[in-house]
Amino acid sequence: MEMTVDQLLHAFRIMERSILAEQRLLRFIEAGDSRVLLHSGRGQEAIGIGACAALRDDDMLFYSHRGVAQILAKGILLDELIGDFLGRIGGATGGLGAGIVHAVDPKFGVMGSSGTLGGGFVLSAGAALGAAKLGDDRVSIHLFGEGSANRGTFHEAANAAALWKLPMIWLCENNGYSVSVPHREATCIEDVAQRAQAYDMPSAIVDGQDVEAVYGAVKEAVERARSGCGPTLIEAKTFRIRGHYEGDPQNYRSKDEIAAAKLKDPQILVQERLAARGVGEDRLEAIRQEERAHLEAAVATAMSHAKAGEAQIYQGLLAGDMS
Amino acid sequence: MSERIISYRAALNEALVEEMERDERVFLMGQDVAKFGGVFAVSKGLQDKFGPKRVFDTPISETLIVGGGVGAALAGARPVVELQYADFALVAMDEILNKAAKWRYMHGNRQSVPLVIRAAEGMFGGLGPEHSQSFGQYFWNAFGLKTLMPSTPADAKSMLKAAIRDDDPVLFLENKALYNRRGPVPDEVEVDPIGKASTIRNGTDLTIIAWSSMVAVALKAAEALAEEGISAEVIDPRGVRPLDTATIFNSVDRIGRVLVTHEGPVTGGLAGELIAQIVETRFDKLLAPPARVAGADTYVPQNLELERFIVPHLEHILAAARKLAATGKSSTQ
Ligand SMILES: Cc1ncc(C[n+]2csc(CCOP(=O)(O)OP(=O)(O)O)c2C)c(N)n1
Repeated sequence: MEMTVDQLLHAFRIMERSILAEQRLLRFIEAGDSRVLLHSGRGQEAIGIGACAALRDDDMLFYSHRGVAQILAKGILLDELIGDFLGRIGGATGGLGAGIVHAVDPKFGVMGSSGTLGGGFVLSAGAALGAAKLGDDRVSIHLFGEGSANRGTFHEAANAAALWKLPMIWLCENNGYSVSVPHREATCIEDVAQRAQAYDMPSAIVDGQDVEAVYGAVKEAVERARSGCGPTLIEAKTFRIRGHYEGDPQNYRSKDEIAAAKLKDPQILVQERLAARGVGEDRLEAIRQEERAHLEAAVATAMSHAKAGEAQIYQGLLAGDMS
Repeated sequence: MSERIISYRAALNEALVEEMERDERVFLMGQDVAKFGGVFAVSKGLQDKFGPKRVFDTPISETLIVGGGVGAALAGARPVVELQYADFALVAMDEILNKAAKWRYMHGNRQSVPLVIRAAEGMFGGLGPEHSQSFGQYFWNAFGLKTLMPSTPADAKSMLKAAIRDDDPVLFLENKALYNRRGPVPDEVEVDPIGKASTIRNGTDLTIIAWSSMVAVALKAAEALAEEGISAEVIDPRGVRPLDTATIFNSVDRIGRVLVTHEGPVTGGLAGELIAQIVETRFDKLLAPPARVAGADTYVPQNLELERFIVPHLEHILAAARKLAATGKSSTQ
C-alpha cells in the first residue's frame, strides 16, 4: 500500500533520526561515556517505522531489543532516550536504564520490552485482552526477532489470541540470525508466518527493507484488529547490518553476506521512493540538517540533567514511589 | 604437582573436554554453544573436537533446554545444558524445581537425573534487571538438586567435573565477574566430592564466609585486616546444597565471630539462612552477633554506575569486620 508523500517524508525523517542516534550512541560507547550493550538495529529500521505509521498514538507497542527505530517512531523523545543511555535522571527510566531496552512513554503507547525474550508474546496478547475487556478500540503490537518465536510463550499466546480474537499484531523481524544461530538451524520452517496457519490466524510476509510494504501489511492488520476480527502475524524479511551486539566477532557469517546486507539498506530504498515521487534531494538534505540539529539539541538537553545516583536504586519499586 | 595459571573460563572448558573424552554419554547443548563457542566463550572449540552430535545449538527455548536435559538424563545420557544467563532459569523453573529436583523423590527413588545445568549469573557488566541476578539463594528449598557456585579456576574445573559425574541434577552457577579471573589449576585436578567447603585462609579473630564472586573480595579484606592486627579465616562453602555445615560450624566454634557475604539481595539471602542455623545450634559459642554483607534489596539497574551500589564491596566487608572484631565478649572461656 502506498504511503502519502508526507508519510514517506516522515518515515525518512525518523529513519535519519534513528541512524544518527545509533551513530551517536556508538560514539558514546567508544569514548567511554556510556558502557552499555547496544544491539544495533541498522538495516532493520523500515519495519518499526512502517508499522508505527499505521498506528495511533494510543495503540500499544511492545518492542524488541533490536535498535531504536521502533520506539523513536512511536514517539519516544530523543533526549529521553539519550539521557537514559548516559544514566541521566532526565532519561526515560530516570537513568536506571542506561540502555535502550526499557524506555517507555505511556502517552505514546510505548509499553516496554521484556529482556527475557518471548516475554512480549504473552504481554502483548494480555494488553490486547485488557483493551478488549475495557471496551476500547486500541490495538497492541509486538515486534520480535524470529529466534524469539521459538519460545513456548509464542504458542500459548498465539493460541489464545486467535481463540479470543484479540486486537493485536505480531510483527516478526526475521533477520536470519539468533546471535550466531541461523534461522534454519533453529526451526524447520522457512517462514515464521507459516505458524499462523496452526492457529487459524491471518498472516503476511513482507519485504522488511521496504517501509511502504510494512506499512501496508500493518495497516490491514490494524483494521482487522480494530474491527474485532482478531490477530495477524506479519513476517518482515530483513537484514542486520552490524553484529548481534557491538563487539560481536561475527565469525558465523561471511564478509560477502554483510556486504550484501548493506546494499539492502532501507534508507537507500526510502530515498529512491521519494525521488520517484518527485521529492528533490534538497528537501531530503533539509531534513537531514534538521535531524542533525535535533540530535545535538537532544544531547545537550540530556546532558543538562544530573547523573542518576545511589538514591535512584530504590526508586520505583512500588506505586507509592511514582512521581 | 605442577600447575598452570589459567582463567576460570579456560578451566571450565578443560573440564568439559576431559569429561566428554572420558564419557561418551556426555553432550552439550544450549544457545550459541557450538560454532560460536558460547556467549561467554566457555565452549570454544568443543564442536570442532566432538562434532555436532555432541555439541550443538538449540533454539531460544529454555523450557526445552532444561526439560529436554531432564528427559535425556532419564534416558541414560549425561547432558550438560547451558542457560546463557542464569536469569532465564526463571522460564524453566518448573523443569528445574518440579522436574529435575523432584523426579527421583516423587517416583519412589527409582530413577536418576544426571543433568548439569550451567548458567552465568551475577551482577556484572551493566546488563540490567533481567540479566544480572545472583541466583543461589532461590534454591535452598530444591532438596533434590545440587547447587554449586565455584569461585576460582581450580574449583571451576574440579567442581564441573564432579558435577558431570554426579548422579543427581546439578545447577552450576558460573559468575560472570569471574570468567576472566586467572588462577592456579593443577595439571591433574582432584575431583572432590560435591558439598565440601573450602577453607582458603586460616584465622583466629573472625570467620568470613563468602560465596562466588565475594570470595576474592573476602580474601582481600582478610589481607587488609591482617595489617590492622585482625586475623580473619575465610571459608567458601562452594555451593548452596549440599552445605558443609561441619566445616563452617567448626570454624565458628573456634572463633566465635562470623561475617557472611554474598552477592544476592541480603533479605532472604544465603547469609540469612546460614546465620539462622548458626544461631540456632551454637548461640553459646558466639562472642558477637553475626554480620551480613550482601546485595542491596532492590533490582540491578542497567546503568553501571548504579550497579555498583547494589553489589557489596571491599569497604563494606572491612567496615563490618572491624565492627564485629570490636564488639561482644572477649573470648569463649
Ligand atoms: C529467554 C531468553 N533467552 C536468551 C536470551 C539472550 N539473547 C538475547 S538476544 C538473543 C537473540 C535473539 O534473536 P532474535 O529473536 O532472532 O532477534 P535478533 O537479535 O536477531 O534481533 C538471545 C539469544 C534472552 N534475552 N532471553
